[in-house]
This record gives sequence, structure tokens and C-alpha cells, in this order.
Amino acid sequence: MTEPTINFEQRGAIGIITLNRPEQRNAITAQMVAELREIRASVGWDSGIRVFVLAACGADFSAGTDPDSLQQFTQREEQIRHHTVAAHIASLPQPVVAAINGAAFGQGLELALACDIRIAAHGAHFSMTQISGDDMPFDGGTQRLPRVVGRMKALEMILCGAVIDAQEAKEIGLVNRLVPQEALLPEALKLAEDLAAKAPLAMKYAKEAVMKGMDMTLSQGLRLEADLYFLLHTTGDRREGIEAFREKRPPKFREK
Amino acid sequence: MIVFETLIVEKADTVVVITLNRPDVMNIHNTAMRDELYEVLSAIREDDETKAVLFRGAGEKAFCAGADLTEFLTAPPPATARAVRFDADLWELFTTMPQPLICAVHGYCLGSGIEIALCCDIVFASDDARFGLPEIGLGIIPAAGGTQTVPRTVGGSAALDMMLTNRWLTAHEARRAGLVNRVVPRERLLTEAHAALRRIAARNPRTVRAAKEAVNRGLDLTLAQGLELERRLVLALWGQI
Repeated sequence: MTEPTINFEQRGAIGIITLNRPEQRNAITAQMVAELREIRASVGWDSGIRVFVLAACGADFSAGTDPDSLQQFTQREEQIRHHTVAAHIASLPQPVVAAINGAAFGQGLELALACDIRIAAHGAHFSMTQISGDDMPFDGGTQRLPRVVGRMKALEMILCGAVIDAQEAKEIGLVNRLVPQEALLPEALKLAEDLAAKAPLAMKYAKEAVMKGMDMTLSQGLRLEADLYFLLHTTGDRREGIEAFREKRPPKFREK
Repeated sequence: MIVFETLIVEKADTVVVITLNRPDVMNIHNTAMRDELYEVLSAIREDDETKAVLFRGAGEKAFCAGADLTEFLTAPPPATARAVRFDADLWELFTTMPQPLICAVHGYCLGSGIEIALCCDIVFASDDARFGLPEIGLGIIPAAGGTQTVPRTVGGSAALDMMLTNRWLTAHEARRAGLVNRVVPRERLLTEAHAALRRIAARNPRTVRAAKEAVNRGLDLTLAQGLELERRLVLALWGQI
């Protein structure tokens, strides 16, 4: 039996997903894709997980697609079918925090783009490397990158394949926060704990309103937001949140 | 000048200044303010004389520190609240106003405060302004357009960072994020905002409205559709259709 390439650990309300092929710089294989998809499928709405952290073992987040793994599929359709995974991560209703160290290249960057809040270590670096290999991003990068950094910067990265450093990534909005290398995982887990203490339904609905709403006209998005808001009115957590605020005590949310 | 329960509305020549006027409670947004804003904006929308509108907050501490939570637990049942919202949808009206709206933000700008600011086209902030979206901590989500207008302004990831972690931004951070256009010293805030208001009011109002429509409606369209909208608006200005 082959060694697992992804570690998954549930620590209370936090699900920690770790890319674990450090010797190969976490280059993404079909096996990793299959394991990530399996984890996604196993964490339903009732799993008790309120926040995910996506991290990586070793010096790099991910060097991109493993070429040997990709080339075992001769047809482009098969490659897409067996080697894409970002959409599975993006479809998680809970917030996902990415902890990025070292290289986040190619499909590794595409995977990070499927997360909601990206924390990077000083020294992290980012590149859409596919163009140098006579290829293009195929795991959502051409769509998610411009939505995060804008059209011009995205085209520059996708067409030129240049490597940008953590500071520039912060400036263009590709990462939300920069921390020292040794603080990366502690900061990501601390953020996840903060998020896990907040109202889980409100968090899921806010994510849904933002992500789905960006694909709609403003008018349609406003209606989606209002509908989710009124749905939230029917939950016990909303009452608890307001009551706790008025009684100046921390709220206890039950996701109900 | 018309004094409402929660607003002061002043019309001078072709510009209107709307002051959120609940300074004792940092201008927090309540149902009275919602109804009065709906009434005032409905009237301005139909008023061809009004060329631009400025929003500001009364008092020293805040532009608007959010929603009035004291009303929340006495809110009507969800189905009723939803019907009331869509019966007189302030936020749909606010985001489709034909005239340019300018917002002058000082002090706290939280929750509904940001949402009001982002219904406007140009946002000035004083250097002491602070921006935050604390709704999730209360078990609710922004519902005055914030989940839509904030990501359209700062991007989805930065919007989620503010919403999910309750990260507050200083005026300068807000400018770098694209949430505000210009940061000025507190004592210059209204002067600068009024200067912009007058510059807009000095222009041909048909041109100004067409430009605003092209940008704001265009952002909801594909590039090809947006270019077609622009072409039609230009031809209309030239009187050719």
C-alpha cells in the first residue's frame, strides 16, 4: 500500500489538511488529488468542522503539478479528470485558511487560490509557472487569479511566469497576511481558532454571499445576501449572538 | 434644510448634503433611518436639479458605527422582515442612484457604515477613520449590500478577511485596499469633499450620469456588453439615438 500523501487531522472544530510529499516539494500527483477529494467528500456539513487550514510539510507549499503523474494520462480530458482539485477545496462551505511557505508554484498556487484567507511566511514566493512548460493553468488559475489580483497582474503572472516574492504578493492582494517563517503555522492555527469561535452559520453564509455574489450582477447579489440574512434570522445562533452582545458575555454558538 | 428624526438634509443650489444625525449613538443605523433615507433618496432620484449628493455623519466620534442592535430582538418574523425589505428596498435604490454620491467618513465606520459608504461612488476618509465589519461575531452577516459591495471593491479574499476575522482597517490601510479614494486630515475632510462635490456639480449632469451608469452597470456585464452599453450612452449624449 502506498504511503498517504495528505495528512488530515481534526483538532476540535478545526480541520487541518497538510500536503505531505516534502521530498518532492509537495508536487501534486493524481494520488494527492484523489486523497484531497476523498477528504472533501468525507467532511459533510455535520462533521463539526468549522474552519479548515491547508498547510504543507517541508520547505515548500507546493512546486506545482508532478509532471510524471500528469503524463501517465495521455488524453487531456483524463488529465483534467484526474488531476484537478482546486474546485473541491473551493466548494467547502467553511472558511479555509492557507498557510504558505516557500514556493507556491503552478497548480500549488492554484490550490492556494481556492482558499479564502492566505497567510504567507516571509520568504514565500509565488509563480504561475505553467507557461514555461508550454502549458497553461488548468486548475482554475486563469479564473481565480484575476479575481484576486486583477486582470493586469494576473495576465502578467500567467503570461510571463515571473516569480514574485512575499512582499509583492501582499501588496497585490495575493496574500492577506505575512508572518515570520516560524510563526506561520501557529498564526494560521490561531486565526482558525478565532474563526471557530465565531458563529458558524453566519460565517458559511457570508462566504457563500461573497463567493456566489461575485458571479452575479450587483442586484442579484444583493438579493442573495438579503435572502441568506433572513434565513439566518430563523436560527438560534443569531439570537444567541445578539443576546450575548447585550449581556456583554462571549456567545455560545451551536450551529443551529 | 429639512430635519428628520435621524437625518439632516440640506440642499444648496444643485447639491444635497445628507447628514446621518444620531450623534449620541454614533449615528447607528435604525429602521427610522432606513425609512427616511428611502424617502429622501427616492425624492433626489427624481430631482433633475440635484447634480451630486454628499453623505456625512454628525458628531465627533463616528460616521456610522453600524446597526442599532436594540431593534434586533424585536424584529418582525423573518418572512415579514423579508417582505418589508423588498417592498421598499433602500439598498437597491441606493446602488442605482443616477447622481454621483460622495461619502465623507470620519471616526468609526463599522458594519452599515461601510455599507452606506460603498453605496457611494467616491469615498473620502479622515486620517482617524476606522473600518470594520463585526457582524459575524454577532451571529449575523452584513445585509445592507456589504457581502456584495465590499468584495467588488477590495476583492473576495480581503473582504472575507475583514468579515470573517473582524479585522479593522485604518484610513490608510483602507485606501491601500481600495475601500476609500482619498485620506485627508480630519479638519480638511468636509472642505475636500465639498470641493469634489462642486467640481462634479459644475459639469454637464447628463455626461456625469452617463459616465456613472457606464461604469457601475458595466461592472455587471461582460466586456463586450459593457462596451456596447458605453457606445449607446455616448450616442445618446450626442443625440444620435
